[in-house]
Amino acid sequence: MKRTKRIAGAASTLLWVAVALSVCYGATRLGLGGVTEPGSGFIFFWSGLILAVLSLIAFAESRRSEEEATRPTGALNWRKIVLVLFALVLYGFFLERLGFMLTTFLLLSFFLGLIEGVYWRKSLAVAAGAAFGAFAIFELWLKIRLPHGIFGF
Amino acid sequence: MLESLTSLAYGFNIALQPQNLLYCFIGVTMGTLVGVLPGIGPTATIALLLPATFKLNPISAIIMLSGICYGAMYGGSTTSILLNIPGEASSVVTCFDGYQMARQGRAGAALGISAFGSFIAGTISIFGLILLAPTLAEFALKFGPPEYFALMVMGLAVVAYLARKSTVKALMMAVLGIILGCVGLDPITATPRFTFGILELADGIGIAPVVMGLFGIAEVLENLAAPTGADVFAGKLKGFWPNRQDWRRSIGPIARGSLLGFFLGLLPGVGAIVPQFLSYALEKKISPNPERFGNGAIEGVASPEACNNAAVGGTFIPLLSLGIPSTAMTAILLGALMIYGLTPGPLLIRSSPDLFWGVIASMYIGNILLLVLNLPLIPLWVRVLKIPYSYLSCLIILFCLIGAYSLNNSVTDVYIAVIFSLVGLLFKKFAFEPAPFVLAFVLGPLLETALRRSLILSDGSLLIFLERPISAGFILFSIVVLAAPLFSQIRLGRGLSEED
Repeated sequence: MKRTKRIAGAASTLLWVAVALSVCYGATRLGLGGVTEPGSGFIFFWSGLILAVLSLIAFAESRRSEEEATRPTGALNWRKIVLVLFALVLYGFFLERLGFMLTTFLLLSFFLGLIEGVYWRKSLAVAAGAAFGAFAIFELWLKIRLPHGIFGF
Repeated sequence: MLESLTSLAYGFNIALQPQNLLYCFIGVTMGTLVGVLPGIGPTATIALLLPATFKLNPISAIIMLSGICYGAMYGGSTTSILLNIPGEASSVVTCFDGYQMARQGRAGAALGISAFGSFIAGTISIFGLILLAPTLAEFALKFGPPEYFALMVMGLAVVAYLARKSTVKALMMAVLGIILGCVGLDPITATPRFTFGILELADGIGIAPVVMGLFGIAEVLENLAAPTGADVFAGKLKGFWPNRQDWRRSIGPIARGSLLGFFLGLLPGVGAIVPQFLSYALEKKISPNPERFGNGAIEGVASPEACNNAAVGGTFIPLLSLGIPSTAMTAILLGALMIYGLTPGPLLIRSSPDLFWGVIASMYIGNILLLVLNLPLIPLWVRVLKIPYSYLSCLIILFCLIGAYSLNNSVTDVYIAVIFSLVGLLFKKFAFEPAPFVLAFVLGPLLETALRRSLILSDGSLLIFLERPISAGFILFSIVVLAAPLFSQIRLGRGLSEED
């Protein structure tokens, strides 16, 4: 258990350092300028460098202390999380193609029926009500433009 | 003083306009609702309601959004007292004695004293705001880029110091926030930076989709595993008016809590959670019967409730007079002000007196509305708590997606919200706090501009931050704050369990 945690800690530090150094590299390509006239990459370079140093300190700190590196409360349901995230990406893809109402109805039905396990008829009714209600409030009342798609709604 | 009162009368004139009154009412009601509901806090709600305010005039919009901030403080206590679960993070302490009072059949008195305490504290903090904000804004006119840079650094240092777990991790969050906040066109040379050829990123990553993802969708994803089923108080609620003994015991703690909350709320980075813990500790310390605390002492409800409300008033001072947010919640309000085309900073009070005084007057009206409406509505809030979380999460997702899309009518923002929901979930999983990230994300571009201008001003000498007394003071304070954990194991943030 301890070993797995240590490996996870090392992997996350590596990831942080890699991100930080990539920012530094990108910053040098933007041009750092000098202290008299800082360039576009100046803040990124120094922030990246500080982030890399902090990541290493955090790694050392987690090894030194017995403190839990992860939040102890409740395990996450990764299967459902991945499904919801995938559905949200699809939502983004179809939003302007199929329009707000239809896409939102499909997403919410999926979310309530499949993810939350609400009875299908109830899920469809709530999803339809929420999609239409949101359209009425935002598009019709608040005049915020929502995508209409090929069906015109 | 006389000038302030005249301006306040002008503010009431604006706040009492039917439209503003309506939005104040909507704001405080929404605030109370999200305060009552565990799992969704005021920060997320302000973000969720941002799209609904885009077509409003900025004054009505800010009146509504501020109503959410202080309304949530009222609502949070209801859940703490009746369920022993904090409705929002800054009501954690109220659980200690509030729930015990409810178990002893005194839920009504606990709810009553927290409402009256919040009202008194709200009134005190509004007067503090009236007195201090314009003076501070006048003073801040002397600030140049070095002072602003140092002040922002101090705010971030304090947020990191107050981190619940690791200061280093909080600093990492702040630095990441600065990096992502600066993505987009260079403010001086207009060079695209880290936009990866995506046109929509030229203006930077928007605060709205980031917050929707971090605080809204991430919250739903986290709760997919464990739906929050709470045992709602089943007894009959009565006797909201505290008796004479309750008042005698509470009035001192309310006054002390209000002052402590207000002055600590003023400090960049402090927010409302830490002052609440301190006020509880203070009351316990000075009480002749400290053993009563934790067993239903009314002082243990009165003081922290007054404190968190006053702290919210305090956090508005750096926001409105300096243009510097001190918490994640005010960071989003700052983002909102910018979206409405206003320039937050010391000149805001002079350039938009209608906004400043209108919002302050509305805060007082909002506090009265909350006092009048809140107690009779408690049975309704209890019923709201019984709504299944699946329906609420469905609405949260819907509002987040609309909010992310509608600011720029861009699907890219929807994708950004989705990405940040995963990022937010990982932050939570690996105990990285989102508050320093959001604060730094909003401050990033301001910080960069202030730093670059300072260096240009000083011809490249970093000593400029130490040669000017105000900025030297801020920098020194930041160093002390960041070095403190090295010398002491005692950290204010330790023991706090919830995210802001």
